[in-house]
Amino acid sequence: MNIGELILVAIESIKSNKLRSFLTTLGIVIGIAAVIAVVGIGQGGRAMLMQEMEKFGTNMFGIWVNYRDGESFRLDDLQINDITVIKENVPQVKYLAPASYGQMQLRGSKGHKSVQVIGTTADYAQVRNLETVWGRFIRDDDAAVGRRVIVLDERTALKLFGPGNPVGKKVMLMSNSAVVVGVIKSDSSMLGFNSQQIAYLPWSFLSRLNGWEVIHELQGSASSKEEVEAAMNLSKKILERRHHAPNHYYAYSLEQEMESANKVTGIMTLIIGCIAGISLLVGGIGVMNIMLVSVTERTREIGIRMALGARRKDILVQFIIESIVLCLLGGFIGIILGYGGALLVARLAKWPPLVSGWTVLLAVGFSVAVGLFFGIYPANKASKMDPIEALRRD
Amino acid sequence: MIKINNLSKTYSTGAFTVPALKGITLDIAPGEFVAITGASGSGKSTMMNLLGLLDRPSEGSYLLDGMDVSNLNDDDYARLRNRKIGFVFQAFNLLPRLTALKNVELSMLYAGTKHEERRKRAVEVLTLLGLEDRLHHFPNELSGGQNQRVAIARALINNPAIILADEPTGALDSQTGLEIMSIFQELNRQGTTIVLVTHELNIARHSRRILRMADGLIINDEEIARPLDAHNEIQALREKGGRA
Repeated sequence: MNIGELILVAIESIKSNKLRSFLTTLGIVIGIAAVIAVVGIGQGGRAMLMQEMEKFGTNMFGIWVNYRDGESFRLDDLQINDITVIKENVPQVKYLAPASYGQMQLRGSKGHKSVQVIGTTADYAQVRNLETVWGRFIRDDDAAVGRRVIVLDERTALKLFGPGNPVGKKVMLMSNSAVVVGVIKSDSSMLGFNSQQIAYLPWSFLSRLNGWEVIHELQGSASSKEEVEAAMNLSKKILERRHHAPNHYYAYSLEQEMESANKVTGIMTLIIGCIAGISLLVGGIGVMNIMLVSVTERTREIGIRMALGARRKDILVQFIIESIVLCLLGGFIGIILGYGGALLVARLAKWPPLVSGWTVLLAVGFSVAVGLFFGIYPANKASKMDPIEALRRD
Repeated sequence: MIKINNLSKTYSTGAFTVPALKGITLDIAPGEFVAITGASGSGKSTMMNLLGLLDRPSEGSYLLDGMDVSNLNDDDYARLRNRKIGFVFQAFNLLPRLTALKNVELSMLYAGTKHEERRKRAVEVLTLLGLEDRLHHFPNELSGGQNQRVAIARALINNPAIILADEPTGALDSQTGLEIMSIFQELNRQGTTIVLVTHELNIARHSRRILRMADGLIINDEEIARPLDAHNEIQALREKGGRA
């Protein structure tokens, strides 16, 4: 008896008990749906995260004070000279920019808005992959000459001046004025890095406005992905040496952030994977239970088949196939439900659903494995029956 | 066809051993129509199970179709049951979820016959038994006589060496029983070897040889010079019914 015939026999028998078969596979359905949904959502989320981070360039790194280890920030911890020294001594560092953060009320011809201002240099645009819509970003000579210029992001520009090119117009900040030299593209990023409205000033100009010099953070990019590690570590060393402050600085890279993000999603996947595993186990036991009932109910059928020439192996395979088909059925329903779930979450979270062929294959594999594992015992019991006894049974 | 020498079967249940067959020697030639009769407990069921390769003898030898089958394994037994033996049971033993056609195909399925061939032969044999318009009916849609004919078709389908019929008329009314016996007689006339197990003497007398069993032994082995003819009996019944 070939496998095709056996599968048909199995389907016949499952069809003759539709409700029972459906209830039996429910555990498998839930288990597989959970696996597919979780993996799908996880993979989609991860892909989204990667995509977002790629936008910044994966070569990016940053250095600030090591708050994690309880160090506290002093105004002179990061100085503009540090940048010069690092750039001269660390060839792996391609761009390095200071970032001095503040909040300011900006006033234009059409309106006003309180935005985050970042005092920085020309390199910042390279580090953060900023795109200019109009005009230009801050240039190195702005700082040198002490120009009072400002770069707005699109949304801030719209708020202050209405639609159109605002380059050359005047912005009032506190009691000072600055000329708009450029507008950069607002990024509607998922991760919220750039979602705030931002204005960029030359670092020296911001220092003058504030009345003190401060750099909160250095942001740089390495010349290649492989050199990020070296770039940030060497930069950190130089800072420690120049400020005689070992362990005072903390360097991070997007690579690291991605890894820790992956770790978090990995743990979540593991937890829900365990739940799915338990569900599959419970489902499998349900399948075994029903198969045992089925074997008992069909004792006479087994006897008849044996009398007609079924070998013990034929009976064994018949019931194992039935168990596998039952689980596969649950698996397929689970895949559809799980995919639907992943699609729904992806739609809500606005990221691409990603249920890979591998995941589906894995789910199918799991179904078959559960069916096989929990089908063996009942099938074995069926195949061990004495044909005379079996024929006598009602 | 069948050559049995000093065959015995003992069942042991815990401390007790119950002898069911106590050394039977028997020859059945090709083309014979043998009835085994006896009261319940006489050993005829055990005899049937041993002949049908559903059970193994405790002692003695059994040659089926020239082959010694006393010491074969389960798989060989299954294969021999499939190829050499056609069972007809009292309770028909059709699979309720399969149509007449599928039930008949079942034996061929285990013989590994190809699908088209199976279909063709099953239709042929069912037609031979007058069931050509019942191919796609399920057992619960057929009468007892029709079901038994499906079962006979199933038994015949692999061209077995012998047909083993265990009380084949036991679940049928007397006229339907006669119809079944008439089929067996016709098959036997065409050369099929038939072993019939029954406790009804009237049924046994349709065969050409009656073995009477008691206490695990054959106590009487009798050639029937003039067996009853089921076909004539049915005619007679019809006439009587007509007159009344």
